[in-house]
Amino acid sequence: MSNTAVRLAGITKRFPGVVANDQVDLTVEKGSVHALLGENGAGKTTLMNVLYGLLQPEEGDVYVKGERREFQSPRDAIDAGIGMIHQHFMLVDPMQIWANIVLGQEPRKYFGLAVDEQAAIQQVHDLCERYGFEVDPTETVEDVSVGVQQRVEILKTLYRGADVLILDEPTAVLTPQEVEDLYDVLDELTAQGKTVIFITHKLGEAMHSADDITVLRDGESIATVSVDETNQNELAEMMVGREVLLEVDVPEHEPGETTLAVDDVTVTDGDDIDRVKDVSFEVRAGEVFGIAGVDGNGQSELVEAITGLESPTSGRIVVEGDDITGHSRRQRIDDGMAYIPEDRHERGLVMDFDLVENGLLGSQHAEPYSKNGRIEWDTVRGHAEDIIETYDVRPPNADADAHSLSGGNQQKFIVGREFERDPSVVVATHPTRGVDIGSTEFIHEELLDLRQRDRAVLLISSKLDEVRQLSDRLGVMYEGELVDIVDPDETSEEEIGLLMAGERPDGIESMRTTGGRP
Amino acid sequence: MDRDDLERRLRNAAPEVLPLSVAELRSMSRADARRLATWLTVGVLALVALYGIVFPGSTAGEVFWTAIGQSTIESSLRLAVPIALTAIGGLYAEKSGVINIGLEGLLIISAFAAVVVADVLGGAGSTGFPPVVSFDVGGSTYTIDPGVQLLVPNVWLGIAGGVLASMLLAFLFAVICIRYEGDQIIAGLAVWLVALGLAPFASKVMYGQPSTPQVVRLGEWTVPVLSDIPFVGPILFDANPMVFIMLVSVPVAWYGLNRTSFGYWVQASGENPKALDTVGVNVNRVRYAAVLISGFFAGIGGSALSLGSGGLFNGAGQTMVDGRGFIAIAAYLFGNYNPFGAFAASYLFSGLQALQIRLQGIAPTEVFLMLPYVVVVIVLVLVGRTRLPEAAGEHYESGED
Repeated sequence: MSNTAVRLAGITKRFPGVVANDQVDLTVEKGSVHALLGENGAGKTTLMNVLYGLLQPEEGDVYVKGERREFQSPRDAIDAGIGMIHQHFMLVDPMQIWANIVLGQEPRKYFGLAVDEQAAIQQVHDLCERYGFEVDPTETVEDVSVGVQQRVEILKTLYRGADVLILDEPTAVLTPQEVEDLYDVLDELTAQGKTVIFITHKLGEAMHSADDITVLRDGESIATVSVDETNQNELAEMMVGREVLLEVDVPEHEPGETTLAVDDVTVTDGDDIDRVKDVSFEVRAGEVFGIAGVDGNGQSELVEAITGLESPTSGRIVVEGDDITGHSRRQRIDDGMAYIPEDRHERGLVMDFDLVENGLLGSQHAEPYSKNGRIEWDTVRGHAEDIIETYDVRPPNADADAHSLSGGNQQKFIVGREFERDPSVVVATHPTRGVDIGSTEFIHEELLDLRQRDRAVLLISSKLDEVRQLSDRLGVMYEGELVDIVDPDETSEEEIGLLMAGERPDGIESMRTTGGRP
Repeated sequence: MDRDDLERRLRNAAPEVLPLSVAELRSMSRADARRLATWLTVGVLALVALYGIVFPGSTAGEVFWTAIGQSTIESSLRLAVPIALTAIGGLYAEKSGVINIGLEGLLIISAFAAVVVADVLGGAGSTGFPPVVSFDVGGSTYTIDPGVQLLVPNVWLGIAGGVLASMLLAFLFAVICIRYEGDQIIAGLAVWLVALGLAPFASKVMYGQPSTPQVVRLGEWTVPVLSDIPFVGPILFDANPMVFIMLVSVPVAWYGLNRTSFGYWVQASGENPKALDTVGVNVNRVRYAAVLISGFFAGIGGSALSLGSGGLFNGAGQTMVDGRGFIAIAAYLFGNYNPFGAFAASYLFSGLQALQIRLQGIAPTEVFLMLPYVVVVIVLVLVGRTRLPEAAGEHYESGED
């Protein structure tokens, strides 16, 4: 009997204008963890959606346990023992965990009339026991952590008898500790004969968790290697197609005076919940101040308070000695604050505008782009072309609509637009989220260049290695509080991970200078 | 909550509440402010009730004793029937993700259709069902005789007709919203406006005026022995059968929503349809079913409105339905999509209406007419936001990313 769990042969999937998968082959051994590695848009998720029956390929065959299968819908794939855990969880938040797990295949009682809640809870309980999951089936999904929600998703596929589990970017939403727990879960699954396919664009994760790695680039499968026979540099080169510097070279630089001061800021949302609690820190000229934290711990709200999209309930924002707490968004741009927003589609660009128009955003009221209430389109066009050239936006066409650009190029254009304002303070939120390695490298260099030119940079990112490498000082947020400010060079990834989970490991040296509680 | 608990909480709240300064009020969070307002309102109402109990001769006393009187409760329950049933149906549709704002139209069409069917099948008696049908083709007469016939009172056939008409219109609405992805609010308004025009128009064609003549009305059911129980007996066991149907529908609807597979699917379909789709349940089929359920319950409600009381359809102005479909929406929102809550809210509205009829001597009629709606506004402000299903109002197409 063959030891192959899944084999994809010559899969081709086209979307209008793009070939998402071009003759891709993939063989996954039973009982192994197989990583599917590639940059965004490399075709990883498309390939897995084909395997899960969500998409039908134009060419190629799918074999499960040696048998050729055709999946018209996820239902067929589920029947063949394939389960997929999507990046965005498919859970019904107000329902209890057990109800989510058995949804669609509820055990019944009273001649099929009613759901047998006790039996369902028992079955879920047995599953948890078998795979060593600590999950209380009667809790409501919205009350449990993201890590537990992910386990509920895994249980859902196991309940349906899945032998092959596809996990799409499973670590994107987890804390470092939860990632460790996930690795344990994967070990337990493979130990019991299950097969795991792990979609990721993070080299470290692929190296750490997988037995074999298949690299995809531009819809083509580049190579399949065993983790024992490769290294991160080789994988990075395969992913990007050229040599990449994985380590950022941060030059020595002495910071100057405080440029941005955040003083005791609290932000309360519409439900009267304090999203940001008494946060204080300052960013000096020529310094990168990083903020790490799992998404949703108040970083977005803090940034909105600093950039003027939201008013803080209390506290002050001070730029170069002036209290700008009451300033509008436009005034803050004039105060010298540039902002790279977290969601470039929602807030960074108008997707249906071309680059000429997008380049004007935020400067539409200012000379030389606007005179006597009229926009000087020639000047504006020149400005957009300058950004495209300086920041290497591809394709170099100012008339292209924003949505026609790749994520990395959209981001480079935003970075260019914001940096061309010659700001004194830059607030960069997840500047490399969803951006390919090449563009990431470029954006990191630009941020460090600002630092060399004595600008203050506030960097918010959920990528721990990014904030650790770039920051001079690093604040960690948990549930709206700035738990601590540490020296990223002196603090281990594990210690920062604990801070991100709200715990306080021993022996951490705080760099906090003002405010805050001990 | 019992009275002791209430009193204790009021007493606890009072020392903190009373000396509040303006500055303190201003700095209070929204949730606290809402809680304070709720307790103040409850406190004032409790004081008024207490005053009424102590001084039965006062205005407050008259209101209080009338409100808990047997005849008020009887008519409140009767008036609650169309609202409560419609609310139960509406909450199913909305839980599944389809906001059915056309409930008012379903009530109108079923109220009218029930009367027409009862009338066409002939007066106040009973009809053999299925009927014997004969027709002439080319000189010879053919007769279709089902052989066995049940004797069904016309009034019940009328109700069945009303339910059928309402479900047909609901199905049309579902097709527009689900199959053709029309906007639910616009389609719902269309259902209302179409019914509002169609029913009086059809009545004009058939009877020469927007209102139908009286045809047949539902009698009261009297359960022997049980109806002799003091106070409760006459209210529950010597009443309009529609009241029974409503009182049975509430727990059944609750059970269906919270204890059956279908109920879970309805909830999942309204919260995260993709989650339901990926486990292999057809989301749109669930939504069709839920909308048809709303048509079913609104159909009973509408038939109860026409055949249950006057035995006719009044098509003047806003028709005899007169906004009950919209009150039903407020009722299920106020009841937070719980059939029991929706029933309680419906009873509150209908109780105020019943009280208004009885207390017209005390204050100008207009004040009382306004009362149910004022209460709706106050209650919605105090109770705060109802949690809407996450995907309510959104189309769902399988395979969309």
